[in-house]
Amino acid sequence: MNRLNRLPTLRVNPSEKLTFNYIGSSCQGVKGDTVATALYANDVRIFGRSLKYHRPRGLYSMDGECSNCCVEIDGIPNVRAETTLLRNGMNIRPQNVRKSPDTDIMGFMDKMDWAMPAGFYYRCMHKPAKLWPFFLKQIRKAAGLGRISPDFHMKGRYDEIYPNADVCVIGGGAAGMTAALTAAGQGLRVILLESRPWLGGFFDYRTAEYTPSQEGISRTLCERARELSEQLENAPNVRTFVHTAMIGAYSNNLITAFQTGNKSDAFDERYMEIRAKSVVVATGCIERPLLFDNNDRPGVMQVGCAHRLAQTYGLLPGENAVFSVGHDLGLEAVLDLYDMGVSVACVADVREDGQDPHLLEKLTERKIPFMRGWTAHTAHGSKTLEKVTLSTLSGAQHREFDCDTLVASAGLTPVTGPLTLAQAKLAYDNHTGFFLPEKLPEKMYAAGRMLGLQSPLSIETSGKLAGLSAAADCGTSLEHEIKQTREELRNLAGPVRGSKFVTAPVRGQKSFICFDEDTTVKNIDQAIQAGFDAPELIKRFTAAGTGPGQGGIPGHNLPLLVSQWHTDSGLAVQPTTVRPPLVPTYLATYAGAKHDMCKRTPAYESQKKAGGVMQRAGVWKRARRFSDDIRCQEEVENVRSNVGILDASTLGKFRIFGPDALRALERVYVGDMSKVSEAKIRYSAMCNEDGCLLDDGVVVRRGENDYYFTTSTGRAGQTVEWIRYHARYENWDFSIVNLTDAFGVINLAGPNARKVLEKLTDADVSNAAFPFAGYREFAIRDTIPVRVMRLGFVGELSFELHVPSSFMQTLWELIEDAGKPLGIRNFGLEAQNLLRMEKGHVIIGSESEQRTTLHDLGLGFLWYRDKPQAKTVGAVALRQTEHQEGRLKLIGFRMEDASSRSPKDGSVIVDSTIRGYVCSARHSFALNEPIGMALAEPQLADTDTRLEIFEDSGDDRLYAKVVPMPFYDPEGEKLRI
Amino acid sequence: MFRKSERLWGKAPLMSDYDAVIIGGGLHGLATAYYLARNHGMKNIAVIEKRHIGFGGAGRNTAIVRANQRTKENLSLYKEGLELWPKLTAELDYNLMFYNCGNLNLAHSEAALSAMRMQVASARFFGIESHIADPKECKELVPALNISEDITYPIFGGMYHPPGGIVRHDAVVWGLAKGAAKLGVHIHQGTEVLGINVEKGKITSVETDQGTISTPRVLNAAGGYSASLSYKMLGIHLPVSVLTIQAMVTQPLKPLLDHVVSSGAYHCYANQTLKGEIATGAHMDPWPNYTTQTTAHYIKHQAEALSEFLPCLRGVRFMRIWGGLADMTPDMAPIMDGNDPIEGYYTDCGWGYFGFKSAAVTGKYMAQFMADGECPDMLRPFTLRRFEQHRLMGEMAGTVVYSPWN
Ligand SMILES: Cc1cc2nc3c(=O)[nH]c(=O)nc-3n(C[C@H](O)[C@H](O)[C@H](O)COP(=O)(O)OP(=O)(O)OC[C@H]3O[C@@H](n4cnc5c(N)ncnc54)[C@H](O)[C@@H]3O)c2cc1C
Repeated sequence: MNRLNRLPTLRVNPSEKLTFNYIGSSCQGVKGDTVATALYANDVRIFGRSLKYHRPRGLYSMDGECSNCCVEIDGIPNVRAETTLLRNGMNIRPQNVRKSPDTDIMGFMDKMDWAMPAGFYYRCMHKPAKLWPFFLKQIRKAAGLGRISPDFHMKGRYDEIYPNADVCVIGGGAAGMTAALTAAGQGLRVILLESRPWLGGFFDYRTAEYTPSQEGISRTLCERARELSEQLENAPNVRTFVHTAMIGAYSNNLITAFQTGNKSDAFDERYMEIRAKSVVVATGCIERPLLFDNNDRPGVMQVGCAHRLAQTYGLLPGENAVFSVGHDLGLEAVLDLYDMGVSVACVADVREDGQDPHLLEKLTERKIPFMRGWTAHTAHGSKTLEKVTLSTLSGAQHREFDCDTLVASAGLTPVTGPLTLAQAKLAYDNHTGFFLPEKLPEKMYAAGRMLGLQSPLSIETSGKLAGLSAAADCGTSLEHEIKQTREELRNLAGPVRGSKFVTAPVRGQKSFICFDEDTTVKNIDQAIQAGFDAPELIKRFTAAGTGPGQGGIPGHNLPLLVSQWHTDSGLAVQPTTVRPPLVPTYLATYAGAKHDMCKRTPAYESQKKAGGVMQRAGVWKRARRFSDDIRCQEEVENVRSNVGILDASTLGKFRIFGPDALRALERVYVGDMSKVSEAKIRYSAMCNEDGCLLDDGVVVRRGENDYYFTTSTGRAGQTVEWIRYHARYENWDFSIVNLTDAFGVINLAGPNARKVLEKLTDADVSNAAFPFAGYREFAIRDTIPVRVMRLGFVGELSFELHVPSSFMQTLWELIEDAGKPLGIRNFGLEAQNLLRMEKGHVIIGSESEQRTTLHDLGLGFLWYRDKPQAKTVGAVALRQTEHQEGRLKLIGFRMEDASSRSPKDGSVIVDSTIRGYVCSARHSFALNEPIGMALAEPQLADTDTRLEIFEDSGDDRLYAKVVPMPFYDPEGEKLRI
Repeated sequence: MFRKSERLWGKAPLMSDYDAVIIGGGLHGLATAYYLARNHGMKNIAVIEKRHIGFGGAGRNTAIVRANQRTKENLSLYKEGLELWPKLTAELDYNLMFYNCGNLNLAHSEAALSAMRMQVASARFFGIESHIADPKECKELVPALNISEDITYPIFGGMYHPPGGIVRHDAVVWGLAKGAAKLGVHIHQGTEVLGINVEKGKITSVETDQGTISTPRVLNAAGGYSASLSYKMLGIHLPVSVLTIQAMVTQPLKPLLDHVVSSGAYHCYANQTLKGEIATGAHMDPWPNYTTQTTAHYIKHQAEALSEFLPCLRGVRFMRIWGGLADMTPDMAPIMDGNDPIEGYYTDCGWGYFGFKSAAVTGKYMAQFMADGECPDMLRPFTLRRFEQHRLMGEMAGTVVYSPWN
């Protein structure tokens, strides 16, 4: 196709060629083309086939409001050809076609509409039930548009930014640009978003005259748009983002958008979250489709589509055109296209009156037949358009015209999505025929054509008013200016009357209200007959507006149509809800730059070098084990017989201090915290109001009103909040600091642990000077300050060293060096798990459920019941549940046959029903037989009770017997050496 | 197929007297009404719905159904619930579009695998099909899955539950409404319950914006609004926090996912609807909220999560996100109770984000409860008093608490 290459409005560069591939053949487009215009230039008229009926579909709008022009590009499905810029080397394929779009073998489906009334699948297909799986398969095969391969890899760079602004303007047409300039003129920081690759909106492609009142020089709208855009470029405090689609609006003016990058950008798409004090929405209008029979035939297109195809891209939509319009923009397009060489057989206008006389005069000058009160009635042509029948609005008269293009539109419809996302409620405005906000959301303004304005000056002035209002929200005092501008606007041309016409006088079997879902006017009728009266329900029942284009095509017509048919329902005419994202957005774009926010302890690298298998546990990456042996026999035995080190830095660590610190501890810990002394650790637990175990840890006193305590890894993040919450009515004077990341923790454990420690410090660490459960602070190698606890989690002599994180690595290496002659080894979480199991120690979440109380775990002794003044969290429940029947209890077990394997964690304990389950079970090397811990109903808790264990594989049953815990060193002698 | 469509449910005038009034035209309300009429011969029943039927969670959920619950109290109820879909389809003569594609729940740690093993063992003990799948089998089931090591939470395996799947949520609402209306139930849309009157410890009537209705029985099945309704109208405090839960769909695709896939670690589940969209959701924003507004970070989180374990979806676009209310109890199990402390007052709520799958079967038992006045054994564990007694149910293993402080 030839390009018109001298138009002032042109946005392509016809001399710069781009090559692409379409269904196996090489084609050419030019720089600036969208995929749709490039295909159009290559004479592609049928872009794809429709969902249900496989009807041929073609270029209809230019902004991608429907799936007609969704294509597959480089393996990516559902790409909107109209809004995607052509790039060299693209591989483009049509969708939902078998063979080619022109000769789709599924085309016969079009004749099957009688068998598929609205919601037909609910009413049949389940009879007989045997056939349902077959139908199911057919439905799945037929549904869906594009195809993606399960091993598809999305190429490209994705980024994200979070800019702030005083004013965010959405829409870079004349109103939006004026608003941005006005706000910027007040010295405010402005962000302007425009979805097309350039600013200008409705002005950009039009050569009609722009006439500002003061100046006498004549300019075109297009020139005016470029003038404004230049001013914006020169405004230092405006950041303009073109090719940026606004997709979401959330409370407090959080605006989300994504930007498509150019070759020179460091990203292909970029997700944006903009915080603005005030927002101006100037998103203009799209066209409201005209409904008539075969309104989807390729060759039928909207006014703006035909107009922009010519003016912006230099392509004539066809040779012989018929127009059926409802707005003056349609008449303007007739004139331009005629002047460019399209022969116009006839122009029908659904409006009986109200046309701009100036435009009518020009039509007459060109001898273009003009018919008021007429509409397109039926499009003819088997695949593409050949002929059109026009009729009067009542259908009394008909006339036929041969043509290859039918430019059709019922009128305009405002793009109110950004406003409704911000919770604006829409109401029908009788004058414009638009659904407009009853009240604007706080700190949000609307301007421009979306309000129904038509005259360029009114549009700009409304932009100015919105810009000033938004600026006023940012603290600028502009009352006078606002009043003046409002006055100015009142004296200009107001909103124009809009056409309310929806559908031609047809039966509607082939009039498509929604292209994506192949929903016809007839289907809407069927839904109403089935008892669905609200548009929201009709949408669900007929699927209209639920496809890739969402409400883009049916959004405005559906409620109008329903209200016409349904005058008795008394329901207010309401459009269906618009939901984010306003423009379908890649997951890749939303995901943005990839962040893996995991935490590593200071000894991470050392452990990794030592062969640690590092796995994620909550927010941390930790060493699970240090060999391929998943049972960790060597690690375990080394701790039992020699000495090992474990990185326990992930423990929660806190300082709490101040006159009321003790009170706060008494509140959240079940134990008697007044007994916490300086040289001794105290083990205690926290419960919730149900008496269920939340956390355990140790507390020490480091000075007057100054305590240091640890929590389990999982609770580190919540502990401060927990304590504050439970002290919220108390007005207590205390402070709490989370030291979790400030300290590293090394657990040095095993009978030889002291030998290692002695090499590193002069402090007396003998059992006499530093006994079990003791707490000491001293220096390692005279420099590194450590807080040391003698604990017994793994059941051996052990020192837990807490050290400032900056010293952690050094201390780790010192210990490894000192222990080398003894054969010190790392041990990981898995080894620790077995070691603590042998001691019968619980891990919260492993041996406890959400509903497990302290008593259930046999830890009731931790609860000090004589401190009612403390109002200990959970105390009431601990009292009430102490002797409650029917609760799962923690038990220990060994296998009946000591040589049997241990049951898998999670196996259930059964008789005629489920009685409990195995929390953890392992082969104990120390005992040389399997041991386990389970939560079971109390009648199974007695020693020697036989347990029948049912595993997930469901094969054989295993049998165990209940034994007392701990399994290993029940007297705790090993801890006290 | 060729007959002209008739109204699925008729319009009836609001009477001044009903044998039972059901508040809420959601899944649970409609199902209870249906079974009251079907199984207990009660004819004079009103369902009162302030907006349109399916306005609440019923029309907003992602319709995932399964029976592999964690505890025995729940297993038998959900099992019966799952088996009900095909039966109900035939009985209502309305295709509920039960797609038993199976659910694959991913484990991203050894601990998660153990937790799943317990669920699998429990399910199997009750004759519910379920098994542990290794990463290779997971990949065979869902070829789009990323089972490599280089993601935040590598996949250790999963729990596969073949009989689960998805149902068309709208069809259930409409089918139940159709079935109930056919048996004489009056469905009053656009009618709001404003008060409940009690005399001498017994229900006497219900106030609506269209007039007063005398009745001896009321069911509170107002979903997300049930707790505030209970407190405002009767002073009964339910331990329920209401939170917004969101879900979203991508543009429709030809078949890609043949099973429901979910991941606790990623807080994300995804399945392909019969329309071809990938429907996906997650846990909720943990602050109480009575709005159904969506949030920006939620959809972003979803994209980040799916980018990792179903990376091909990076080339697919999100099309729409919406929110609904989840009425969460402290133990994430529902509250089903009645005649305590008010005779004739029944409650069926606290269904949070999981109350679709069991709606029909619950309706059956609630109807029995309301007809006999006696709590069926199946529902006994779900009594409100359990909270007073600190006897939480064990549906959640860990301590995930959706309460104000969290
Ligand atoms: C996003 C999302 C995803 C979900 N996904 C799943 C899933 O995959 N699987 C699953 O099993 N569950 C899921 N759920 C949960 C499920 O939807 C709910 O648990 C279920 O809908 C609860 O049903 P209901 O009948 O109790 O309440 P609803 O369906 O919410 O119905 C309550 C009705 O009561 C009406 N009402 C309230 N107050 C009054 C009044 N005063 N007078 C009259 N009428 C009133 C409301 O308008 C509403 O229609 C999901 C929920 C959401 C929000």
